Amino acid sequence: MIVVHRLVRLLVVLLVVTFLSYALLNLLPGDPVTQILGLSATEEARAQVRQDLGLDQPLLVRYLGWLGGLVTGDFGESYITRMPVASELAERLPVTLELLVAAQIIALGLAIPVGVAAARRAGRALDQALTALSFALLSTPVFVLGVLLILVFAVTWQVVPATGWTPISLDLGWNLTSVILPAITLGCGQLAVYARLLRTDLIATLQEDYITLARARGLSPRRILWRHALRPSAISLVTAVGLNLGALIGGTVIIETLFGLPGVGRLIVDSIFSRDYLTVQGGVVLISVGYVAVNFAVDLVYAAVDPRIRRA
Amino acid sequence: MKRWRTPATLMLAAAVMLACSGQRPVAAPQAGASGPVQGGRLVYGLSADANGFNPVTDQFAGQSYSMAGTIIETLTAVDANGGWKPNLAESLTPNERHDEWTIKIREGISFSDGIGLTGDVVRANLEAQKASPLNAAVLAPVKAIELVDPMTVKVELKQPWVAFPYYLDAQVGMIVPPASLKDPKAASLKPVGTGPFLFKEYVPDNRMVVTRNPRYWRQGLPYLDEIEFRILPDSQTRAQTLDAGGIDAMGTSRDEDLTKYGAQQDAYTVHRSEGMAVAEYMFMLNTTVAPLDDLRVRKALAHATDRETVISTLRGGLTEPADGPWSKDSKWYAEGGDYPAYDLDKAAALVKEVEAEKGPIRFEMISTPDPNTMQGIELAQDMWRKAGIDVTIKQADQADLINRAVTGNFAATVWTQFSAPDPDGEYIWMHQAYSQPVGKVSLNFTRFKDKQLSDAFDVGRTDPDEAARKKAYATVQQRLRELVPYVFIDHLNTGSIVARTKVHGIGEHRLPDGEKGLPLTGSPIPYHPFAQLWVDAQ
Repeated sequence: MIVVHRLVRLLVVLLVVTFLSYALLNLLPGDPVTQILGLSATEEARAQVRQDLGLDQPLLVRYLGWLGGLVTGDFGESYITRMPVASELAERLPVTLELLVAAQIIALGLAIPVGVAAARRAGRALDQALTALSFALLSTPVFVLGVLLILVFAVTWQVVPATGWTPISLDLGWNLTSVILPAITLGCGQLAVYARLLRTDLIATLQEDYITLARARGLSPRRILWRHALRPSAISLVTAVGLNLGALIGGTVIIETLFGLPGVGRLIVDSIFSRDYLTVQGGVVLISVGYVAVNFAVDLVYAAVDPRIRRA
Repeated sequence: MKRWRTPATLMLAAAVMLACSGQRPVAAPQAGASGPVQGGRLVYGLSADANGFNPVTDQFAGQSYSMAGTIIETLTAVDANGGWKPNLAESLTPNERHDEWTIKIREGISFSDGIGLTGDVVRANLEAQKASPLNAAVLAPVKAIELVDPMTVKVELKQPWVAFPYYLDAQVGMIVPPASLKDPKAASLKPVGTGPFLFKEYVPDNRMVVTRNPRYWRQGLPYLDEIEFRILPDSQTRAQTLDAGGIDAMGTSRDEDLTKYGAQQDAYTVHRSEGMAVAEYMFMLNTTVAPLDDLRVRKALAHATDRETVISTLRGGLTEPADGPWSKDSKWYAEGGDYPAYDLDKAAALVKEVEAEKGPIRFEMISTPDPNTMQGIELAQDMWRKAGIDVTIKQADQADLINRAVTGNFAATVWTQFSAPDPDGEYIWMHQAYSQPVGKVSLNFTRFKDKQLSDAFDVGRTDPDEAARKKAYATVQQRLRELVPYVFIDHLNTGSIVARTKVHGIGEHRLPDGEKGLPLTGSPIPYHPFAQLWVDAQ
């Protein structure tokens, strides 16, 4: 039942989001025909291309036509490259997904111990130092952090390449080297948010009666922290991870541009600048589906993290 | 179990570090005593991806020429003196009136798919280009294309066109095999041509790899085994990638790159655009809308613009002030027609005169939102305000700005243009026949109509005598200085290629008949041929 409910919600979200994005894109000043033909095209050539692409049709007619195609799995063709939008997205999705997953692994892998350590020593020097570090990471723009990391790890130490992308299918080692700096850059901001969230929730949990009882029973502080306090304190963290994953599918554009990665974010932004409406629409569908799917998965994780939710 | 955890973790970390470190394996070139050596691999950083590699259907920019130019060749080429020379063509011969050109194709050239290059293939390509909406305006003077014999094509024109061969050095002169004409989509993704390299791999927004064509028609070329073009849009990380050794060469237009790499001559070479390849940075004015339809206002703007200050502030003093569309080191540059020099008093006097008749002078200037461009506009805004001209700035992205220019929905805008190898390349942008009212598509964006200037462009197009052409283009420059449809700022000769010293041959290529080729072409970031590039044996 929950799956059907989610699917209905996904359809509504898709309809609203795709129509709004279609309308907004068409309200943008600029003409896709000029982007396709360049400056030197004649009035007649422009009119012909406009007709060929159906751009002379009313907005609603074009939207419904696109929607009809979408139902049959046809995302349309890019105005600029004339490639199927679905294959363009499919080519780039693995890059963005790998970047996101790697960034989340780095962020969570560091945020959990950092958050736990800060909560355990709340108010002390370590907590204050970690708080300061978190704020420093939060307030550093990714393009600054990225350039700094390239300077240190690629230019000075030369342990990883500065830019570029090697697919997993070509070489796993080179794939890891090409994803590590972008993932750290992207993950650092998330790390700070996750660590702060976990620290706050953990401090609250550690003041619960059952924790006091556990202490009274003589359980070691480490066991209390990792076995009894961490899981119920992770609800906010799981929510944040879910929201971030969905939002970042299209939001990695700065990282992808900075490091020369051929991901979905870069494709969508480039397509907005070149008024490649159908490619942008395809991207919007992908992000919407991704967002809803990730948050559906997050709902399932809630139950696993906290049995009280499952029972409720 | 627990005691093994730390060593196992360390070993795993070491394995990951090992996998993640070291240089990408490359083919070792053969050593040569001196001069070019065969072999080796070049990694070349580009600032943007191409829209596609089909010269008939895809709009080409500098990066498209860099990548596709390794595979697809043109009928003509431009030499170091700016003259056109045959390339795939063996000769191009005009009739006496220059309204008919006979193109004889070189014998013994084949496409990499095995099809021979013939007159019929060239005719089919030119027909396709003429029918393409991309190039219809450029090839408007072409009346008919006929096959004279298996290796000869005749192009009939509606009017004499002296500079026609120059156009065959660009997109319209790139020759692809019949299969590419039949399947334009495949040709967009996997280019095929007669060129020195063969297509190997293309990953959009990431890289294109080409390998040596062992059956290339020019003996001994190319020198390199492989070229990888990396698409690195961020100029700072592109430079950092060069520093880190991730790429061997890159295109740039950043002043700081010129200064930085120019000071490291033992490690890098810097090749700057020169002559006609240099574009001009300017403020383009719509001469059909108030207040810029008044010549006094346009002159006041030019008088109030201190080009030297703009250059020292924005370009680190690296460029030259411009007073016309062609740079001073080009053979087409001519003095005369006094471009309004910086003189705030004159500007203020003109403004007062206009204000007395028509009231305050106000208009909107369009700019792309990038910080460097905005800085320049704000500088100009401040200079013009001192003369009494009130300018508001409106930001627009590239697509919006270009569309406004084409349809005339602007008063003034920042603009960069004019890097064609021959002045005739600017014909459609300035001739009055291409000027249309606001609201209609006009290739003459300033909508400026001047009979004297247009007649001079016609002479330049139709008269084969170089002295007569020079005189005509001197008139063009004179009229532009007198009538100020553009407020010229500087010649953007910061467009450069920076390479590690192990890379040789940039800007030193020879054309098939032995002449030295034009070193760099295009703007803002230039491009060049790759067949004669070579890397040091290591």
